[in-house]
Amino acid sequence: MIFRVYVNFKKGILDPEAEAIKQTLKHMGHKSIKQIIKGKFFDIEVKDDKDYFIEIEKISKNLLSNPVIENFKIVKK
Amino acid sequence: MQKKKIISIIVFPGSNCDRDLKVAVEKCLNCKPDFVWHQTSFLKKTDLIFLPGGFSYGDYLRAGIMATKSPAIKEVIRLSKKGVPIIGICNGFQILTECNLLDGALIKNSGQLFKCKNVFLKVINKNRLTGGFSKNEVVSFPIAHSQGNYYVNPEELKKIEDNEQIIFKYSTKTGLINKESNPNGSVNNIAGVTNQKKNILGLMPHPERAIEKFNCDDGLRFFNSIIEML
Repeated sequence: MIFRVYVNFKKGILDPEAEAIKQTLKHMGHKSIKQIIKGKFFDIEVKDDKDYFIEIEKISKNLLSNPVIENFKIVKK
Repeated sequence: MQKKKIISIIVFPGSNCDRDLKVAVEKCLNCKPDFVWHQTSFLKKTDLIFLPGGFSYGDYLRAGIMATKSPAIKEVIRLSKKGVPIIGICNGFQILTECNLLDGALIKNSGQLFKCKNVFLKVINKNRLTGGFSKNEVVSFPIAHSQGNYYVNPEELKKIEDNEQIIFKYSTKTGLINKESNPNGSVNNIAGVTNQKKNILGLMPHPERAIEKFNCDDGLRFFNSIIEML
């Protein structure tokens, strides 16, 4: 089984990379773009079909995201 | 002469200011610091711990996060609770925020650029780790980072301000704290903070790179304050 963990900045945290992407899109003529949220994801494969959700949640909190600035979301695949 | 002090510098794969720190400690504190490899799981008695600048573990995932899982950091956390003074510079500051020894987080510079230049800092509060500087004085240290944008949420910010935990803020030469003097977008121009107990200090600028006359030598006073504190 694979758990996909999405990590992105909390609302209000300035992401200069996402800002730059937005600006570039504007230069490319995409006038309708209002906001870009950039994030990352991790696919974590576990060795059997047991439910590792709580463990993955712990991993997401303790390593993959920084709760001060980021949110995470876990999706089972 | 008082008893020789034991000063430890934790070295991670990717640290690159450890040697500069050693030179500064030898020059100003007249003692030979111990280099402590990140895999060290027991730290004997130490009077002060430095976490140096650099790119620990390549700064993968987030700057400083990998280092927080190393055995040496577990010892740093244990000793910090006993009141041992800890100073994290640049990547060391990022590590201290990632392991929750300091509030807030350091994110990418607002202008996206790696900033490498001398900056002016206003001393906001006195601390025993920086006792040689007086309140409202302006000093100059170099910065060199791409993730030095200090963020803390408004409630925490109020707490650290009220508790006088902010030590340095980016300012102009005359001590004005404004947007122009903020090199990285840090909230309220914050450049250096302590924990609540004030035995842990984190700062983005590099005092160890400011100990020679040809650049700026305010770093000498930073290290000289440490002698007095120890």
